[in-house]
Amino acid sequence: MNETAMSVGWHQSRRGRGHRHKEQGRANREQVVEQKAEDSVPHGTCMTMCPAYELRQREAQNRLHRFEMVAGTERDRLPSADVSRAVKEYSRPAAGKDSTRASDLRPPSVLLKTVCHLVDEIAASSTSQPWTEVYSFVFDRLRSVRQDMIIQRVSGPDCVAVLEKSVRFLLYASYRLCGQQLQYFDPRINDTHLQECLSWLLESYRDGKHQHQEEFQALSLLYNLGSSQANTHVLELPERIRSSPAVQLALAVSRAHMERNPVRLLRLAQRLDFIQVCAVHRHLLPCRTDLLLLYSHGHSSRNCRYPLQRLARLLFLKDALAVQLCQVCGVNVTEEWVNFSKSSFTDTPSGDLQCRRMHEPLDDERWNCSAGSVIHGCV
Amino acid sequence: MAHITLNQYLQQVLEAIDSRDGAFCAEMLSFKHPHVANPRLQLSSPEEKSMHLHCIFTMCSSFQAHKEENWALPIMFAATLDLRIFANNAEQQLQSKGKGKVGDMLEKAAEQLMSCFRVCASDNRAGIDDSKKWGMLFLINQLFKIYFKINKLHLCKPLIRAIDSSNLKDDYSTAQRVTYKYYVGRKAMFDSDFKQAEEYLAFSFTHCHRSCQRNKRLILIYLLPVKMLLGHMPTHQLLKKYDLMQFADVTKAVSEGNLLLLNEALVKHETFFIRCGIFLILEKLKIITYRNLFKKVYHLLKTHQLPLDAFLVALKMMKVEDVDIDEVQCILANLIYMGHIKGYISHQHQKLVVSKQNPFPPLSSVS
Repeated sequence: MNETAMSVGWHQSRRGRGHRHKEQGRANREQVVEQKAEDSVPHGTCMTMCPAYELRQREAQNRLHRFEMVAGTERDRLPSADVSRAVKEYSRPAAGKDSTRASDLRPPSVLLKTVCHLVDEIAASSTSQPWTEVYSFVFDRLRSVRQDMIIQRVSGPDCVAVLEKSVRFLLYASYRLCGQQLQYFDPRINDTHLQECLSWLLESYRDGKHQHQEEFQALSLLYNLGSSQANTHVLELPERIRSSPAVQLALAVSRAHMERNPVRLLRLAQRLDFIQVCAVHRHLLPCRTDLLLLYSHGHSSRNCRYPLQRLARLLFLKDALAVQLCQVCGVNVTEEWVNFSKSSFTDTPSGDLQCRRMHEPLDDERWNCSAGSVIHGCV
Repeated sequence: MAHITLNQYLQQVLEAIDSRDGAFCAEMLSFKHPHVANPRLQLSSPEEKSMHLHCIFTMCSSFQAHKEENWALPIMFAATLDLRIFANNAEQQLQSKGKGKVGDMLEKAAEQLMSCFRVCASDNRAGIDDSKKWGMLFLINQLFKIYFKINKLHLCKPLIRAIDSSNLKDDYSTAQRVTYKYYVGRKAMFDSDFKQAEEYLAFSFTHCHRSCQRNKRLILIYLLPVKMLLGHMPTHQLLKKYDLMQFADVTKAVSEGNLLLLNEALVKHETFFIRCGIFLILEKLKIITYRNLFKKVYHLLKTHQLPLDAFLVALKMMKVEDVDIDEVQCILANLIYMGHIKGYISHQHQKLVVSKQNPFPPLSSVS
């Protein structure tokens, strides 16, 4: 194929915008049409995490976030902006607002650097307290990063890297902030964004090879445990990815869920690594109540007793928590014995047994330090 | 028919329109008609080919102006069918070039079809014979085919509701009703409503014309798993007749309670089952297989106080991996909960105590 200087230049300018298949002898007209379409896609030129215009505006209007201020100026009447820490915020697209100005958009390389800053300096820093505030800040700034990617139609390795870190952050947050008050953490909003990122990520995986694909296919399946769509998607993956250990484990968990075998499911869950637990944890409490339901019917007898300790071990809970779960579900517990009865099990549990009570107890310090490695993915 | 000139062809079409001969007109306008082979219509760029469809659709949009007439319905049928086929081809071409998002072309086609559908569904003025409502089922079937292809089954619901509330639903042609029930049956399967699924798919199968072997086979692919879940195993004859021997091992495994054979059969024909979208449903047969296996244990031991260990041994013989007494109890508890076994487990005595009367009720009477 003859490559003129012009055609080489043309290809270089399309870097970071996904695959193209070169075809010999394409009709001239088609080429021109595509070039025109290319020109209409905005390309960002802002090389800082926050565009200069926005930075000046927010500083002047005292709308900086505490994580973006120069240390020591937080209590001033007008705190100063720290250029090395200010990050473009998310703003809803509106009629009359031009969100495609090149100087306001960050190119993919800057977006990736921004995400790394958000994770390393903010999310993983032990000086950022409370973590609910960290979450709120990082959540918003990540959303802005994705917005820049959408406007510029970014695809390819940088896009995938940004999405992977976003997914990990949101999964981690869903575990760490589980049970927090709605004003600080809304699981449904987190879920909506997580699903968006996941489906965008899985769609991006269709082209080319990606280093972490197996891991994220597994995370997606675990997060969406019980969804036949997620299951079907994994079954249709190429053999190479399906047979990877991460996906095989996720499939085994999924199968246990489908076969309604909570004993097996909870056992398999012990083999999951931390981020996988974050992904699956919201399904574990319903799984435990299901075990109590099945046993209430299967072991239903006035005279028989089941050892409490053994039940607690099956549930992978401390004895005291197991007792609480039983009480909430209407299962009779006396001292060391459980008496199952199908008539006493209640579907609508009384009291508030939160998922959070069953999490790994970690103090704030340890949470923060491990956050970085969890979200970046290098455990 | 390439010997007919373009002018003659156009003349024929005009005459058909004037005489309101919908069927003949439809034949002429369809892409399957030989006029397509005319060299003067062979154009290099696809944009101009799409002018064909564009013209047809302009015609279709003038439908609405046909007050109290429905003679043009066959034309609309031909046009929508061509549209869907084109959309399919466009998808394939885009996929092979690596461009475009999956399902884009088909979604656009679906939008067009929906607008035709709305014209038909909202025809309340005309009398029964002239009503455009007769076009509804054909369009719905086309839309079903697209929604199944792009995996957006939830979009089928409003269409199903429209037909359910229509008073014409039993008067459409058998062919259209067979297709309709096939898709609704598949949707019911997807929603795990197996009794309904069986009803629809069975209707579809029995009413499908015997010359349409390929279609009968397609229906059977979905009817078989549903029937098996309800406890009815197909005969070897049936499987052979419709070239569906992939189900033979599955059937044998389930009725014998042979988990090992079931797992092997599922793996062996995995690609086929996944492609048809029935792999997940066949996995549900595992519960039935457990039930059949445990029933055998019951018959062997001839007692109603069955040691749990016996079941563990049975499972181990079926090479079920890392299963222990706790999992055995869980599986049994599940079977009891679902009504497949009448009895209870005594952990202290490590026994399953079953009812003296009919401890393993027939599968068709459960769920």
